[in-house]
Amino acid sequence: MPTYRLHYFDVRGRGEVARLMFNAAGQKFDDVRYTKDTWPDFKPKTPFGQLPVLEVDGKLFGQSGAIFNYLARELGFYGNGNMEALQVDVVMGLVNDFIPLMIKVFFQEQDETKKKELLEKLLNEDATKFFTYFEKVLKENKSSEYFVGKGLTMADIVVYDIVDPLIAHKATIVDPFPLLKANRQKVESNPGIAAYLKSRK
Amino acid sequence: MPSYTYHYFDLRGKGETCRLCLAAAGVQFKDHRIDHAAWPGDYKAATPFGQLPYLEIDGKKFAQSGAIASYISREHGLYGTSSLEALAIDGVVGLVADYYSLWAKAYFEADSNKKIDLQLKLNNVDLPNLLGILEKILAGNDSGYYFGNQLTLADLSVYDILENSYRDFSNIYSSYPKVVENRKKVAALPRIAEYLSKRKETEI
Repeated sequence: MPTYRLHYFDVRGRGEVARLMFNAAGQKFDDVRYTKDTWPDFKPKTPFGQLPVLEVDGKLFGQSGAIFNYLARELGFYGNGNMEALQVDVVMGLVNDFIPLMIKVFFQEQDETKKKELLEKLLNEDATKFFTYFEKVLKENKSSEYFVGKGLTMADIVVYDIVDPLIAHKATIVDPFPLLKANRQKVESNPGIAAYLKSRK
Repeated sequence: MPSYTYHYFDLRGKGETCRLCLAAAGVQFKDHRIDHAAWPGDYKAATPFGQLPYLEIDGKKFAQSGAIASYISREHGLYGTSSLEALAIDGVVGLVADYYSLWAKAYFEADSNKKIDLQLKLNNVDLPNLLGILEKILAGNDSGYYFGNQLTLADLSVYDILENSYRDFSNIYSSYPKVVENRKKVAALPRIAEYLSKRKETEI
């Protein structure tokens, strides 16, 4: 196995899915976290001037999506075969469509009134739309409570990760979606993930 | 060989990279182009998640342009020759997706003042940033392709995303000769050349 270092800010953001996959697989990695003071020195060394960066045996690679796909391949979270990989990627795509809506509310909108409006929309209209899609995918997988195939894949992990902050704002948000709720429990039952979530601040 | 039908609007937009992948793979596919006036109606209801594109593989429907492009690329040798190479390819695919979001934001902005600002930023900051990175990658690879010695999803994604600016702001490209060389190389590949020669021109 290569030597892995994950370079990201000291937040969950676009790095947490990698951390979750490493922990789910029991794969050792260096969890390097930058502050706004330490980031400027590292920035010019990165491939694209951005984080996250995955270092594999000393070589640096950028783009969170690329990093997640690579780790899913290497750590066994991409399902079996190309068809299942396609299904995993479909879920990744849906999540990527949802993320900008979250970013707008939590990081971009400055006006307090507008922010409140957008948060309401996110927690109700947008969440309903996307959770309905997730529920549909889960329903279509007759072979398990996971999104794809019979085991844990990157699809389960990314959905788990983006739903987390929404639950913090609206505790009942997953309740109307029984399969999604069961899927979350499945993710949390992975021993590596369970231990990591316990220790995570 | 499975039977492929690709459903998207009658333009390049978010769906053209998939068409380029199918063309590069040399597979037969039905290129179903949906007229905007006819959408949504029955067409929207037929999609997996209310959006285009989707690919039908032996009648089973799969949405999400990125997922489709990756599937075709994996299936038909367009993803390089190692997992690390695929990681690098996906890095470029990710940069292209980021740029597409910026382009779309500028293109579809309704407020005309905001639109001007966004387009200025796109042409003066975002596009040069992207082209600079791409030029650097090409400088590190002798073959003229982004990665390895043959066409990959990276070359096709870049070919597609640069279509509009190559047509509308060609001057900027004189500073990125390797990007231009790669573009011509891709366009000259037999299957791509054939596909492009028959492709109708669309604004976006």
